[in-house]
Amino acid sequence: MAPLLEVKNLKKYFPTSRGVVHAVDDVTFSLDAGKTMGVVGESGCGKSTLGRTIIHLQPSTDGKIIFDGRDVTDVKGNDLKKLRGDMQIVFQDPYSSLNPRMSVHDTIAEPLRLSGKYKGPELENECRRLMDLVGIESRLYNAYPHEMDGGRRQRVGIGRALAMHPRFIVCDEPVSALDVSIQAQVLNLLMDLQDNLGLTYMFVTHDLSVVKHISHSICVMYLGQLVETCATDELFSNQLHPYSKALLSAIPSTDIHHPQKRIVIKGEITSPIDPKPGCRFATRCPYATEACSRPQRLDEVLPGHFVSCCRCREINKL
Amino acid sequence: MAETSVRKAKKIPRPGSAKYVWYKICRNPLALAGVIVICLLVILSILSPYIMKYDYAKIDMRSAYQGPSAEHWFGCDELGRDILARILYGARYTLSVGVLSVLISAGVGVALGAVAGYFGGAVDQVIMRFLDIMAAFPQLLLAIAVSAVLGTGFDKCIYALGISGIPRFARMMRANILTVRNQEFVEAAMSITCTKPRIIVRHVIPNAIAPLIVEISMSIAAAGLAASSLSFIGLGVTPPTPEWGAMLASARNYIRLYPHMIMFPGLFIMLSVLSFNLIGDAIRDALDPKLKD
Amino acid sequence: MSEHRSDFLSVRDLVVHYHSEGKTVKAVNGVSFDLGKGETIGLVGETGAGKTTIAKALMRILPVHSVEHTEGSVTLEGKELMSLPEHEMQQLRGRALSMIFQDPMTALNPVKTVAEQIAEAVRLHNNVSRSQALDRAKEMLTMVGISADRAGEYPHQFSGGMKQRVVIAMALACDPQLLIADEPTTALDVTIQAQVLEMINDLKEKLSTSMIMITHDLGVVAETCDTVAVTYAGQIIEYGTKEDIFDHPTHPYTVGLFNALPNMNDNAARLSPIDGLPPDPTNLPQGCAFSPRCPYATDACRKGVIENYTVSGVHTCRCIRAAKEEV
Repeated sequence: MAPLLEVKNLKKYFPTSRGVVHAVDDVTFSLDAGKTMGVVGESGCGKSTLGRTIIHLQPSTDGKIIFDGRDVTDVKGNDLKKLRGDMQIVFQDPYSSLNPRMSVHDTIAEPLRLSGKYKGPELENECRRLMDLVGIESRLYNAYPHEMDGGRRQRVGIGRALAMHPRFIVCDEPVSALDVSIQAQVLNLLMDLQDNLGLTYMFVTHDLSVVKHISHSICVMYLGQLVETCATDELFSNQLHPYSKALLSAIPSTDIHHPQKRIVIKGEITSPIDPKPGCRFATRCPYATEACSRPQRLDEVLPGHFVSCCRCREINKL
Repeated sequence: MAETSVRKAKKIPRPGSAKYVWYKICRNPLALAGVIVICLLVILSILSPYIMKYDYAKIDMRSAYQGPSAEHWFGCDELGRDILARILYGARYTLSVGVLSVLISAGVGVALGAVAGYFGGAVDQVIMRFLDIMAAFPQLLLAIAVSAVLGTGFDKCIYALGISGIPRFARMMRANILTVRNQEFVEAAMSITCTKPRIIVRHVIPNAIAPLIVEISMSIAAAGLAASSLSFIGLGVTPPTPEWGAMLASARNYIRLYPHMIMFPGLFIMLSVLSFNLIGDAIRDALDPKLKD
Repeated sequence: MSEHRSDFLSVRDLVVHYHSEGKTVKAVNGVSFDLGKGETIGLVGETGAGKTTIAKALMRILPVHSVEHTEGSVTLEGKELMSLPEHEMQQLRGRALSMIFQDPMTALNPVKTVAEQIAEAVRLHNNVSRSQALDRAKEMLTMVGISADRAGEYPHQFSGGMKQRVVIAMALACDPQLLIADEPTTALDVTIQAQVLEMINDLKEKLSTSMIMITHDLGVVAETCDTVAVTYAGQIIEYGTKEDIFDHPTHPYTVGLFNALPNMNDNAARLSPIDGLPPDPTNLPQGCAFSPRCPYATDACRKGVIENYTVSGVHTCRCIRAAKEEV
């Protein structure tokens, strides 16, 4: 089966007054229909930009985006409009992602109206169906965003995305602004929707326990570059890139009797402005050598397990 | 919180609509009083030539400086003109200077600010630097300069005040647009295939303009005051036109001996300023979805 | 540890109500706990559970204009803080007890160098010269892992994690006996959080500072705390040692919190969220505040005052099921 989404050597650069920000640099991956891919990394690693570039909220600088076997990198006009029907996004902040002056039904009905397929009572029915689908009580039909809690708002955002009948949804940290008990409700909703509608997700988050729970495969990003990608279980049991190792060991564990050995990496993330060639993690990496200052290549080190580290085999004794 | 939100009565208009604003004003006694005062002033001003016993310009030296009496409720000025008649007739000048000049400054200012804010870059630079130069002068000083160039008179006074108010509105609109433009719901609108004009009209402007509407209504009051100031220094409406500020200006010489001459026009200026401010407050509240019912 | 219990900090029946938009917000409703010297207690709970209000009440920095009612007693080394005159309290802040706020981005003054800011805190409480204070500031910066060379830099030249270190250095500059940390790592990235937590643990050992760690992250609690107080609707609904809470969670809310967390060690297909929403603090339910969301709630839960029952040792739980030993 051909993958639903293929991204090849995707780049997104922003020119700024201080230099060019390499927000997404040479990212390649593919995603099968009906699956979830988690994208993890720390703030500023370009994970949100990656999602927004793929669904054409921002133009890409270079590279290819192939959706359903078709090159959609430079679609415009009506084709872009059609593509937006297939690709949607759920945002991080349930406070700023909803127009405060639009009620629940205004927000969900807007894409329906724009599609031109629904009018009058049909519009209202479809709107109520979507509200029901995402679990918003129908008494909130006329409610405004500020009258709802974060979880409900996030459901409205999901409803708006579903109104386009998408096949692929970028979830940009959809639960990171929510409390634990509410977060679980929204995660369950997203998983149910995937089962029932066959949706494909790209799940962008910094929360590794969430990503482990929801995704089938994972991309680990560091400063715009993809450093490791493989199936979820594989990553959590056998991470090969030094950054992935540090990232995973840094999660505070709730297991008080088996504290894991932590790899604390020194220093902080450097800036992605005009980076030098080579591995961007090298400045913090305990294994860095001369060879790391040369450009790195994403290698299939184990079947289905891609790592961008020249010392990977050596470090992991493969 | 979430549980309270269903609008029960079907009669309540849709929030955000003009009807809803009116509905909210009607439920706010102070704002309603403001509306009534302004309406009364407008009506009386229009009717004043027909209902007043005295003509606003009729000089009667025998009753000069007369205090309030049954004959002349607010007394007479130094030329024996009936102050009540002058105030009511003058309302048409003072109020229309306020409203029209603010329409000019808000209309032009909002458009310039929206363009500068939404498109940014060079457009923004050119517009804002030009407005910065204008804004470097205090508004009243600018108005004085403009009217010194244009000359005196009712219409020129409106232009002077209108032009001098542009930078403030443009600046506010631009700042609001900049905050709204970067919010995620604008991106969301893009992703559900909203066109650019639709995004601007439906998502950006409604969220950027609310603070300005208040500012506009407040500015009407302020412009009325500024018009009075212009008249006061002899640059606005000239005698014998009974503009309130002009009336204050000519009465200031007699403030010790005949305080009624300055008191009544002052009272009406205060009353109309207060009314516009109350209405402005109510409109702001009505447009804020967080303060719904 | 336990022989010093309650000698150091003791909070009894703390109540804080404030008013907001014409309503009374019952933020803290009868909180009691003890903390021994050198110990760390974790206050865990979700948004609006009253954690931050408890901290601010201890510091006596609640916003004066909106506080409606406070009562209860807070004793620090035998001294009652709640009735202390403001100028004496001012003396204690920073020196006896000190607080770290959640957002390091706003806690620092952007127009002063970091060393000056720390030195200022030092000079407020100690009679030292400017240069002595600056030396102390550099010493503190080195201690939190920032090179003394960077002492003359401004906050904007530091990254988020570094700023939080500066904030911690400032809080520790006067050797406080009690450090209150309000979500100190929430705004930080995971690898930076790991660095800061490690540093906090080191410093605690080195300086034997007692600490109140406020967080919503059970993982952070597991790494830093000795005892845990789970807060819900302004009450401590379960209290115990870390082992008590993590191995034998007793209150249905605590159990629910653990179940709602995506677990790193098993692959359950669905999470088990807690139904419903946290209660509105202006309109708390009768009886147990958790009863509307609790799967075990009975009529007895919905009325009257729910007592605090001892489960075992110091482990207490505010749930009538704990009394009946049904758990």
